[in-house]
Amino acid sequence: MPQLTDLTAAVAAGKRTDTVRITQELLAAGIGPEAIVEKGLVPGMAIVGDQFKRNEIFVPEMLVAARAMKEALKILEPLLATAGIKPKYTALIGTVQGDLHDIGKNLISMMWRGANFAVVDLGTNVSPERYLAAAQEHKANIIGLSALLTTTMPAMKETVRILKAAGLPNMKIMIGGAPITQAFADDIGADGYAADAGTAVDVAKRLVGEAA
Amino acid sequence: MTGCERVNRMFARQDQDRVPRHDAYWPETIARWQREGLQWDQADALRLLGADFQTLCWSWPSAFPGQRVVLSQDAETETVRDAWGGVARFWKGRSGTPEHISFGCDSREAWEKTYRPAMLAAANEINPQLAALRYHEGRACGKWNHLAGVEGFEALRRLIGDEACLIAMIEDPEWVRDIVRVHTDIVLRSFEGVLAEGVAPDGLWIYGDMAYNHATMCSPAMYRELVWPAHKRMADWAHAHGMKVIYHTDGRVSGVLDLYIAAGFECLQPIEAKAGMDIRDFAPTHGDRLAMFGNIDVMKMATNDLGLIEEEIRVKFAAGMATRGYAYHSDHSVPPQVSWKTYQAIIGFVERYGTY
Repeated sequence: MPQLTDLTAAVAAGKRTDTVRITQELLAAGIGPEAIVEKGLVPGMAIVGDQFKRNEIFVPEMLVAARAMKEALKILEPLLATAGIKPKYTALIGTVQGDLHDIGKNLISMMWRGANFAVVDLGTNVSPERYLAAAQEHKANIIGLSALLTTTMPAMKETVRILKAAGLPNMKIMIGGAPITQAFADDIGADGYAADAGTAVDVAKRLVGEAA
Repeated sequence: MTGCERVNRMFARQDQDRVPRHDAYWPETIARWQREGLQWDQADALRLLGADFQTLCWSWPSAFPGQRVVLSQDAETETVRDAWGGVARFWKGRSGTPEHISFGCDSREAWEKTYRPAMLAAANEINPQLAALRYHEGRACGKWNHLAGVEGFEALRRLIGDEACLIAMIEDPEWVRDIVRVHTDIVLRSFEGVLAEGVAPDGLWIYGDMAYNHATMCSPAMYRELVWPAHKRMADWAHAHGMKVIYHTDGRVSGVLDLYIAAGFECLQPIEAKAGMDIRDFAPTHGDRLAMFGNIDVMKMATNDLGLIEEEIRVKFAAGMATRGYAYHSDHSVPPQVSWKTYQAIIGFVERYGTY
């Protein structure tokens, strides 16, 4: 019988077929879906995030790992829903108003899902009002704002202003994107900044009070 | 000294009167500057800067040249089926990266049955006679005349999308090689048509964003295996016709500079400062073999803080000019936060610190 560590290794290596097979075998052996996620898949994506931060792997390897995890979650999520088990934290993500770019946002979304956050992807060109309404609806713990263009950085500032003014409890705002820096995050009052998809997991965990 | 002489001497690391110059601007920047006193358009801004480069033609082969079918639209955006068969949402009357919704070439089968034959059969989008006309205009005013074209990785992303492209690099490398190879064949064929008009360009400016603010999109080893051979082929072709090669990429490419040099690239542009690229780091190690074109931080320009901008230009120029292989360019495109007054001051700083 495979072990949870085998699943971790399969996800980290981006082996989709092996990931699905091991997930099914673990379930058949009586391992619960929550344990499979928490102790098998999430550690695998954590390895991917760490390797990515160190430039030991690059975006293609991250994508195949995230896809392997997604295939496993297709099997596990109905079982988790039946058991009433939800991820502990919810994150919203979107590209700010005036910006249609999405690859950075999509990578962060994959990595947050890999860290067992429930992720609501609001898409691109998201107005401050849509962010706020979605934050209220989903009781989001993390709101991620992405911008590619220097021209859309002012929209990021305005979105942070509106979200902060709403005073939602337990809500933290993270920003990122090509022109974004920690100094800009500090300047506009964002709670966190991540330079890459691997770091985004660490920052989100820190902001919700989990050890990164 | 003409612009052509200046740029050629930069490539040869010989003395120049001043650093060569060029720049790029967002359309909104030009619109702002026109309200603030710029008389004409982008060409006017480049003329005032003293730009030394002249583009003869632009090659980015597609499967269905000229196709642009508007599928839907709203007040701000329109969704279009484009010349590559993909569907993307664009801003109306505003610049910016489009949102790619789908890609027509979504499988190797689609490539082999439809897109590969369509690309090979498509008409050449370059007008060789127009390129020749620009060539003679450029020669008359002493500009450094260059061909411009997109390389295989950028073409691959545009054709099949980022996610499919990057996954295919792991799972179907031969497909990737084939797309890159076919694209390169077509680009070089279109350039041959320009040369047949009797022109002798000074250089080839290859465009292909292969990095973002953290690193290259794929590993250096994967780049070497799948894309680099086409880069080398383009550079070899240019050298065989007496041209120098400039490579444009955004993002952090510090991990592949040696591969660029090995491919035959002789100049890197625009060297994106906000992605962590700083010519002070690699001028001493690579500046003798790779000329540096750009690296002036647009984020600093956007502050309109003249002291900050002057210091940026002073220190970067000092590092670049020490190699004799440096040309001015912003590190991407000048954004609309920069006032016309500020840009005029930037031109003054470029003059002051860029004179040898």
